[in-house]
Amino acid sequence: MDGHASPIRVLRLLAAACLPAAALLIALGGGASAADPTPSTSAATPSTSAAPVIGVAPSASPEASPIPAPPVPTPIPHPADGGTNQCVECHRAVNDRQAAIATAWEGSIHAKGGVTCADCHGGDPTSDRMGIAMDRTKGFVGRPSREQTIGMCGSCHADPERMRSYNLPTDQYAKYWTSVHGQRLAAAKDVRVAICIDCHGSHDIKKASDPTAPVFPLNVPQLCAGCHADADRMKPYGIPTDQFDIYSRSVHGVALLEEADTRAPSCASCHGSHDAKPPRATEVVEVCGKCHTATQELYLQSRHAELKDAAPKCWTCHGTHDVAKPSEKLFFHPQPPDYQCTTCHDLQARTLRIQLDRFANEADRRCDTCHHPDSDIYAQVEAIAGALSEAQGAYDAAGGRIGEAAGMGMIVGDADVTLSEAKTSLIKAQAAVHTTKLTVIAQTAGDAQKKAGDAQAIAQARLDESFFRREAMIVVVAVIVANVAALWLMRRRLDRRSAVEAGDAPGTPGDAPGTPGDAPGGE
Amino acid sequence: MAANTEPVAADAATPASGWIEERTQGRALAAALLHVRIPAEARTLYFGGIALFLFGIQVATGTLLALYYKPTPDAAYDSVLFMMSDVSFGWLIRSVHHWAANLMILFVVLHLLRVFFQAAYKYPRELTWVIGIGLLGITMVFGFTGYLLPWDQRAYWATVVGTEIAGSVPLIGDQLLLLLRGGVDVTEATLSRFFGLHVLVLPLVLGGLLAVHLTLVHQLGLANPKRPDPRGRPPEGKTVPFFPNYVLDELIAWYILLALLVVLASLFPAGLEAQANPLETPPHTKPEWYFLGVYELLKLVPRIVGILAPIGGLFLLTVLPFLDRNPEVLARRRKLAVGTATVVLVAGIALTVRGFSS
Amino acid sequence: MGPDAQPNAKPAVSRRRVLRWLLGFSVISTAAMVVTPMVGFIVPPKSTAAGSGGKVPAGKVADLPLGKGKVVPMGSKPVILVSTEQGIVAHSAICTHLGCIVAFDDLSGMIVCPCHDGRFNPATGAVVSGPPPAPLPHVTVSVEGDDIFLVPG
Repeated sequence: MDGHASPIRVLRLLAAACLPAAALLIALGGGASAADPTPSTSAATPSTSAAPVIGVAPSASPEASPIPAPPVPTPIPHPADGGTNQCVECHRAVNDRQAAIATAWEGSIHAKGGVTCADCHGGDPTSDRMGIAMDRTKGFVGRPSREQTIGMCGSCHADPERMRSYNLPTDQYAKYWTSVHGQRLAAAKDVRVAICIDCHGSHDIKKASDPTAPVFPLNVPQLCAGCHADADRMKPYGIPTDQFDIYSRSVHGVALLEEADTRAPSCASCHGSHDAKPPRATEVVEVCGKCHTATQELYLQSRHAELKDAAPKCWTCHGTHDVAKPSEKLFFHPQPPDYQCTTCHDLQARTLRIQLDRFANEADRRCDTCHHPDSDIYAQVEAIAGALSEAQGAYDAAGGRIGEAAGMGMIVGDADVTLSEAKTSLIKAQAAVHTTKLTVIAQTAGDAQKKAGDAQAIAQARLDESFFRREAMIVVVAVIVANVAALWLMRRRLDRRSAVEAGDAPGTPGDAPGTPGDAPGGE
Repeated sequence: MAANTEPVAADAATPASGWIEERTQGRALAAALLHVRIPAEARTLYFGGIALFLFGIQVATGTLLALYYKPTPDAAYDSVLFMMSDVSFGWLIRSVHHWAANLMILFVVLHLLRVFFQAAYKYPRELTWVIGIGLLGITMVFGFTGYLLPWDQRAYWATVVGTEIAGSVPLIGDQLLLLLRGGVDVTEATLSRFFGLHVLVLPLVLGGLLAVHLTLVHQLGLANPKRPDPRGRPPEGKTVPFFPNYVLDELIAWYILLALLVVLASLFPAGLEAQANPLETPPHTKPEWYFLGVYELLKLVPRIVGILAPIGGLFLLTVLPFLDRNPEVLARRRKLAVGTATVVLVAGIALTVRGFSS
Repeated sequence: MGPDAQPNAKPAVSRRRVLRWLLGFSVISTAAMVVTPMVGFIVPPKSTAAGSGGKVPAGKVADLPLGKGKVVPMGSKPVILVSTEQGIVAHSAICTHLGCIVAFDDLSGMIVCPCHDGRFNPATGAVVSGPPPAPLPHVTVSVEGDDIFLVPG
């Protein structure tokens, strides 16, 4: 590991030294790698890849000086069509492709809002003569260039007056130019980056709330993957292309893509949409905390949070695209890992730091990646893990016992409620791990354990009751068997007696009036 | 065989019984009821008697359950839950009531089959048979109305499905559904009328019919499965005393049933699912097992056929003694009747099994 | 009558005695078996949880000032009572996310689940924010004088 890591860091330090902010970056000591835990394939590529690449690879300092957004252009002027759109009439007749464009536009939200061909393409929509309708000298644009397109969309969408009646935001234009996409377009005139129409479509623009729109939350990962999972397309930028694969297996991806839970985060939830950019180390706690509010609050109370720049953040333990359901395995490596001082210490500056590359590997996202078995903190982690595992054990045991009692046909509603109280405490205890405070965790875990114990006691009482019923049942059945035996003895005696009578008087006609011998004597 | 009474020696065994005898003349009555003779070949398999015993159990446990049960949707579920968890032996009383209900239907059906295959419905017992069919019907209505009372999900949805079957009866279906449910849906109105039927109307009707049924059995005696009753004169053949011989056998059967009930109630106590929720249909909603055959038939054949077949079948069954003019009682001389019944029986069992596994 | 040919009077008498003893055992044991559960059932149990016509008492109005809430048991189920401008309302206290028990948060004036910070509107039980997929089910409240009752169902 160290074998590759050091030369890369040296390279990075060199690159950083060229920048005016060099001093600051050196002080941060590997601040660049802390800025993004994405596997560092990108780190080596800028030098080898195509020349115009700048500011894309996240490890190359993007902070230097963002290129400001160009001014918003004015909308394309054209004569009012007065409700008749001659463009559609003619173009529909040209060929199938043109007809399809007309149909797509007619179904779009723009058509409903009165945005017509000339608003984007220019020209005179009132004329049916090509020479007049499509006169470049009179402002006909034809197909706008990719670079032009952003301004063209912005000419309306950045205008609060125009957008007011649609209740739409107007900051997309400004935001776009701050995104990695926009910055690259501005800096390198790289028109291969995503522009408005790549995500929203052109003629067939739909509302973002329309489930068939490509920007509808459930469709966003596929949309981004359309470019970002394309190895050829991403080759010049030297960034990985497996994010979609990894994401779709994560808890987030499963919730969004498989369970269609629109509350689950898509790419845009963490990276932004118009302002798409990987979140930085300084931002990640806020980004995750947008949804994980309770967890964020707990984390901010922790010793970890106090470390500021050197702090382990959400992604140190949970990863980025590959966030999985957390479990107690996050505490320790099965075998002690290969400890390296530089993972957590800046040896020259004698400060703490966190080398995020080390945490790219899921197997190393463990407390003991930093906390050495000889340290005091290691013992504390052990105590935390122990408290949680005891509480979990008690909870599982209680659940098992309740299931057993329910299987016996006993009513366990009250035990279930006590168990859900235990579960509340257990989940709280698990979440409290983010505080890193043993006392807090142990107290909540102890609470969970106690409530689980109560639930188990209730279930045990029901089980005992059930066993008692079975024992009582055996006694009752035994009594009944005794009774049956007694009755059977009597019955046999009767039979024997009537056999004797039959012997006395063979062939007695059946309808003979009752034989005196049948009178139930002294019984 | 006419009912044979035996002369009774009215010597008072003890002063107390003598005192009672003087004031009731009960001994003659007991003698008239008990000291009859039955054909030696009669094999009742004790099914009818067991059904009677189970009815007794239902009256006893049902009365007890009524002490705690509250027939409103708000309180019904909780009162049952309370009975099961807080009242001592509540689980036992309710579970016995539950199992005895199922067994009662089973034994009434077995009794019917026994009577059918032994041709005991023929002269002079036609009326006994007709009333017996009525008793079967009432027993099933008992089961149907009682099933709703715990007001849990299973009860509620089985009733929804069950009443829907009634709703598909041609011509009167809609009215019948409205009448059964006391409204368009299964609501507190349904619970009220099912409770009223279950604890007031049905016990009275069943008790009355049962009295007539038993009186007829007593008056006509047991049928001989080997030879038909001759017309106009008493039957011939060897007889055995009803009391104590047959009564002892029956008592043994009752004890065995009691043991069975205790075992079933202890090992498989009556359950209680979540409280009824009209807004949430649980998966695999099914009616009780004795309606499963009809329910399954409705899925397989056109609705009109599925609903008319059981109604027609029940009608044919009722008038069977008047349709079947064959005086023979031995199965080999009643090929048509026995054959048809066997086919129907097998089909019914097959449908029910299919219903269970679907 | 003693028509038995083989045994003389003595064994017959002892057998009769055995039978009589058996009969006595049978009657007494059966009676005990049947009467015990019946009597046990009739004797009312000490707890009278279901004794108030389905309504469960849930404290006094005076103990629940406006804008406050608390979790109370309804039978074996937890219910959260909230005093709102529109009167006292109640919802199931079981979070629709993972089944934790919610609490009333005085600071925000909302129903909050401690597990994942799911927040519910105290008046309606609707999800305000967080992971719960569905609102808290409503529970009927009846206020009689100063007493609050919950109506299960």
